[in-house]
Amino acid sequence: MFALYKKEIQSFFFSPFAYVLASLFMFVFSVSFISAIADLSGTNTLKFSFPNIFYNNFFYFIFIIPILTMRSFADERRGGTEVLLLSSPLSVPKIVLAKFFSIVTIYIFMILTTLFFPIYIAGHGVVQWSALICAYLGFFLWGLVCIAVGMLLSQLTGNAIIAAIIGEIIMEGLLFLDLFGATALVNAYPRLNSVITWFSMQRRFLYFSQGMFRLEDLIFFLSLTAVVVCWNIIAIEKRRYSRS
Amino acid sequence: MVEIKNLTKYYGHNAAVKGISFEIRDGEILGFLGPNGAGKSTTMNMIAGYLPSTWGTVTVNGFDITEQASDAKKCIGYLPEIPPVYPDMRVEEYLRFCAGLKGVKRADVKSQVESAMERLSITDMRRRLIRNLSKGYKQRVGFAQALLGDPKVLILDEPTVGLDPAQVSEVRALIRELGKDHSVIFSSHILAEISAVCERVVIINKGEILAVDSIDNLERSLMADTRLNLTLEGDRKLAIRLLKDIRGVGEITNINESGDDRFSCEVELQSEDVRSEIMSVLVANKISIVEMSMAKLTLEQVFLKITAQGKKGSTLEDLLNETPEQPDAAEQE
Repeated sequence: MFALYKKEIQSFFFSPFAYVLASLFMFVFSVSFISAIADLSGTNTLKFSFPNIFYNNFFYFIFIIPILTMRSFADERRGGTEVLLLSSPLSVPKIVLAKFFSIVTIYIFMILTTLFFPIYIAGHGVVQWSALICAYLGFFLWGLVCIAVGMLLSQLTGNAIIAAIIGEIIMEGLLFLDLFGATALVNAYPRLNSVITWFSMQRRFLYFSQGMFRLEDLIFFLSLTAVVVCWNIIAIEKRRYSRS
Repeated sequence: MVEIKNLTKYYGHNAAVKGISFEIRDGEILGFLGPNGAGKSTTMNMIAGYLPSTWGTVTVNGFDITEQASDAKKCIGYLPEIPPVYPDMRVEEYLRFCAGLKGVKRADVKSQVESAMERLSITDMRRRLIRNLSKGYKQRVGFAQALLGDPKVLILDEPTVGLDPAQVSEVRALIRELGKDHSVIFSSHILAEISAVCERVVIINKGEILAVDSIDNLERSLMADTRLNLTLEGDRKLAIRLLKDIRGVGEITNINESGDDRFSCEVELQSEDVRSEIMSVLVANKISIVEMSMAKLTLEQVFLKITAQGKKGSTLEDLLNETPEQPDAAEQE
């Protein structure tokens, strides 16, 4: 299992793909950082907050994660290397987990690059680390769900581009869920409203970005990730049985 | 070593493989012969544990491929039809990864990778990116991958397709060499290839086994039907009469005039090789021989004959000899 994990990480860092994606991420992050700084004037310096930057980045980040995951299974299926993995002594759950954890590792690496900004700020002022760590945690957990979904799509579609596009659509859909939950129509039906808001990731992420750590949210993100990863495992097994 | 019982695979409502059973013995090279689309690759994928079967079992070295998948798969080295290589990796890096994937102990990885590269003479290519290798070398890298982990069983799905003649003979030599300490199952749709390498052969068509027999029997069956293509120059009637008088010559068919006093015909040889006798008789009667060549049955003809029988499971010789009618055109080899 470790061999596959290592290979996935290596293939990511040995290709320009990793650096292009990481720099895109850094660019997006620094743009929101710069505009947050530029917005400061006179006495409103308290307006500047990292959690807000995270919250803004949430929307850009939606476009990056599907690109990160799109190739994970699609390329294996295309290149015929899936045979190598499935005929090796590794079981399907181990294959999926190895790939999942390798992408999570890359994701952590990308998040950690953004530590540059708070560290830079810490040299010139005060950073509220407890709130910041909470925001990072929320960002990370939300990313886990997106990675699991992206991998599932890569596996189901077998085509990197289609997987990325459908991934974007689903992420957009999840964001749209919040807007929809806030409409008068949904508000007229409290039960429907409670279901929709329960699934709303943005709301849960908001708690984290405000420095509020709730066990409920932690369990929500982790269990959702686990469900999607299991779905992926079952989908691979099913495909082996039904198609060539 | 490998036991296949009643193996069946359905893709939706189509049966790709219909209840086949055979075994691969310890240290033998088993040929798996069939035309394209006969179910060869599906069967091999099932033996290697890539595809699960709809029914039936595969037991490798005592381990069931679905129940004890990990143990069974450790005994198998598999080279699929398309070598499963990552184009972005270097040869050595790829082989090290495969060794890790197969659970080779860290201390043994280096020596195993080295010996696999040596066996396939790709040691010079170790630093090359796989995407830049030719098809033949990619095939070799895939082959090297199958040898890692020192598996007892090697499953090779059409390993010579797309290679040039020199490489084909190299690969054949390698398979023969590997057959000394491995059980090998090797598929092909080329009869000559199977007979050059294997000891036993399983013939499959439309997902069913038509015959399981030794290669000697296969050759004998084919020889028993050996035909001779002759192109002669001279008196046609005399030549035919002379030919018919020779012992061991059966029917003479397909007599074609081709102008210039030349004609061609097909002579059936019944038992022993009487080519030298034919030659001396014809030359003594001033009939010159323009061309003389052996036309063995091609795989297609073997299939036509066997499938025309509509039965399976008996030996090849029976199947081939019982056929009353001959396929019309015997292709030249």
